[in-house]
Amino acid sequence: MNQWMVLFTKEWLEAKRNFKLLWIPLVFILLGIMQPVSSYFLPDILEKAGDLPEGAVIDIPLPTSAEVIVSTLSQFNQIGVLILTLAFMGIVAGERNSGVQEMILVKPVAFGFYITAKWLTAVVLGLFSFFLGMLAALYYTSLLIGDVTIVDFSKGILVYSIWLLFLITALIFFSSFIKNSGIVAFLTIGLAIVLSTLSSLLSNWLSWSPGAIAGHAYAIIQTGSAMDGFGTSMVVVFVLIVLLLVGAVYLFKASRN
Amino acid sequence: MSLITVDHLVKQYGKEKAVNDLSFNIKKGSCTALLGPNGAGKTTTLKMVAGLLQPTSGKIEFEGLEKVDLRNHIGYLPQYPVFYNWMTAQEYLVYVGRLARLSKKEAQSKTAELLELVGLKDARNRRIGGFSGGMKQRLGIAQAMVHSPSLVMLDEPVSALDPVGRRDVIEMLREMKKHTTILFSTHVLNDAEEVCDEILIIHAGKMALSGSLKELREQYQEQTITITIKGDYSDWAATAKNYEFVTDVQFEHETITLVVNQLEEARKRVFQDLAKEDLPVSSFSVGQSSLEDVFMKVVQS
Repeated sequence: MNQWMVLFTKEWLEAKRNFKLLWIPLVFILLGIMQPVSSYFLPDILEKAGDLPEGAVIDIPLPTSAEVIVSTLSQFNQIGVLILTLAFMGIVAGERNSGVQEMILVKPVAFGFYITAKWLTAVVLGLFSFFLGMLAALYYTSLLIGDVTIVDFSKGILVYSIWLLFLITALIFFSSFIKNSGIVAFLTIGLAIVLSTLSSLLSNWLSWSPGAIAGHAYAIIQTGSAMDGFGTSMVVVFVLIVLLLVGAVYLFKASRN
Repeated sequence: MSLITVDHLVKQYGKEKAVNDLSFNIKKGSCTALLGPNGAGKTTTLKMVAGLLQPTSGKIEFEGLEKVDLRNHIGYLPQYPVFYNWMTAQEYLVYVGRLARLSKKEAQSKTAELLELVGLKDARNRRIGGFSGGMKQRLGIAQAMVHSPSLVMLDEPVSALDPVGRRDVIEMLREMKKHTTILFSTHVLNDAEEVCDEILIIHAGKMALSGSLKELREQYQEQTITITIKGDYSDWAATAKNYEFVTDVQFEHETITLVVNQLEEARKRVFQDLAKEDLPVSSFSVGQSSLEDVFMKVVQS
């Protein structure tokens, strides 16, 4: 475990030196603030900039606080996933391409340690940024729109974070054996889009799919309870995460020849 | 006693055999040079011994070590060493030292010692991103030594360096030779001659020639007479073939090299004839052919 800690510490030092530790949380906080603020000011913005004819009446009902939180989450589902993917797509592939991986792996480093240290770094940094973003959203929503049910909010973002955990794991999986980090990013985002789209198109059949987790999270925040199939989707997603991790280590080893 | 035995090693990429049935062994405490022209399979061989590549077939055995992670006992410097540019030299060495399972204290003291040895002590707190090629090469050597491996392998450690850097690295190798076994690849025979005792020449993935430097010298070296004459005396060079003791004549610009088998006789006769014909000789020397010639013969055949 000593060696694992050495690898893990190095990842954090690197994140600090290349400012990932700073900009990823900042971007998420900014995203988290934007949604409640723009919902609140939407009527004003339309009035000032919309160039509407004299006398037109705009009547946009203020969304409920739960709706604002959910729309923040769906922002994260697009831009947030994109940012995490771009930030971590080269975490394994980049070191392989630069050649530094060869210098490291010629030392008695366990392959599993190498992959999981990177994986946990991405997971912790990604989820930490996400939670900060949601805290910002929570603060501005309760300030501008109305009270948020904290219990449902907490449960919802916890469930949502499992979807992010799954995507980050898939990213590490692709990164472990594909040399081109662009393709890694493409596959990860593609996977997220395909899973989410299928789950919303066939929501009755695919409620167990990882793609349905975001939907479960939205339901929890709005109604306090998840949709049918929530339990199955949790089991499925955790099994997949473990399989992806084991697969990542295996393929990483195999792809070195 | 041999430290490593390599047995019928093959590495195939598609239809191409980069390494084709290579067998050799490396004596404990020796310094062995793996020589060959570019593309001979030197890097592939080293990578397989280092465990970075899986051989297609064949065996690599370490004396007394079975079923352990061989990487514990190997230090390796790739041809183009790459580091984390955001780390300092000191941080990097401590990092790889700890990856090689040294304790924090051990890693730190070893790092200080190695920085001193490779002459990077003053640059220890600078980011590696700002290092010159020569400094990176030195750092590369230090990282290969950090866990006191029983075998250090260096892939073309001097090829990319300027004469000063080359000299420094050769000196470092001499120093390292006292403590550990060294295997390094190069395409310059001169470098090999300076530090090594054993030479393996490979060509097109196959072993072309192997043996100790001494053996090779005895076996392949020939007596030569080298004469420099001002002006064009290719005619004279052509007639020199007629001496019964001359086995080969090379003529290059103003220098004539005669390969001879009876040195004393040859020296006397050639000297007399040159004097008789009153040729403008500017130098006359007796010596031995270099191993470079052997190398050229082997890799061109």
